[in-house]
Amino acid sequence: MRRTGLSAMALACTAVLAGALPAFADGASATPSPVPSVTQAPSSVPSAEPTSTTAPSAVPSAAPTRVPSSGQVSVVPSGAPNTGVAPTTSDSSNAGPLIGGGAAAAVVLGGGAVFLVRRRQANGA
Amino acid sequence: MSPRSGRALATAALAVLLVACGGPGATTGSPASTPSSSAPSPGRSAKSVSAVGRSTPVRLRIPAIGVDTPVMKLGLAADGSVQVPPVTAHDRAGWYEHSPTPGRTGPSVILGHVTVGAYGDGVFRRLGELHRGEKIVTRLENGTAAVFAVTDVRTVAKADFPSDEVYGNVNRPELRLITCGGRRTGDGYLDNVIVFAALTSASP
Repeated sequence: MRRTGLSAMALACTAVLAGALPAFADGASATPSPVPSVTQAPSSVPSAEPTSTTAPSAVPSAAPTRVPSSGQVSVVPSGAPNTGVAPTTSDSSNAGPLIGGGAAAAVVLGGGAVFLVRRRQANGA
Repeated sequence: MSPRSGRALATAALAVLLVACGGPGATTGSPASTPSSSAPSPGRSAKSVSAVGRSTPVRLRIPAIGVDTPVMKLGLAADGSVQVPPVTAHDRAGWYEHSPTPGRTGPSVILGHVTVGAYGDGVFRRLGELHRGEKIVTRLENGTAAVFAVTDVRTVAKADFPSDEVYGNVNRPELRLITCGGRRTGDGYLDNVIVFAALTSASP
């Protein structure tokens, strides 16, 4: 009888403990809940890094609101860029008239000299 | 104590141990696996977005045509067109600040003059001589460099400027170099020369 009583008590204890274990399991899952919270913490850390990467993008610009979307061109300029001022031909264009004027003056002076020489010769004769 | 009761106690203890070990182990396993799988994914995706960090360009070098120039920032003019660098003796290139910085995904736009009036040749005088595959190096403010290779060189009429192709979205880091070209009209030019390039490497 003692044996059967002891074995019955052992079985009863086992049953009680086994019944209590689900409660431990819940309790244990309650204690892991800090673990997920820990896992949430790292997940929040990387998410904080992207925010830190977006934060600098907002810092530098006068146009912060336009940049963040996808990083592409935020404002498309109108028309074609005017990236060339043609070299002024003023040097050569100024030189041209100067050369022409000088040549004309030389012709006039030469003609005048010839005219005076002939007139002197005519007077002398 | 008899051997039978000892066996019973041992069985009970074993049962308790099995239940205690089995339950919590299963429950803790799953939460541990979920964060580990979810945590790295944002990190990888963030890294794969672009090869070069966001930093404004400070220098541009194009060895094939002897360009090595500082880079200034350019915005929008009052009429909505893009600003251009000032016409000076030693003009420089300018980065359009509403475009991505070189090395970021999208078309980064850099402009320069072909000629600067009485001062003669501009910094992009020989831009039209570039060929496919030739190297363009942009040095960034943070000390890194983004290296591009020319993919196309086009001369287009200003009247038909391809805004979509120049400023439109692309899915990789690209570069646009723009200057004027073609026949002259008054003190300007009829065409634009546009160099399209794609990122090949980034160096620290």
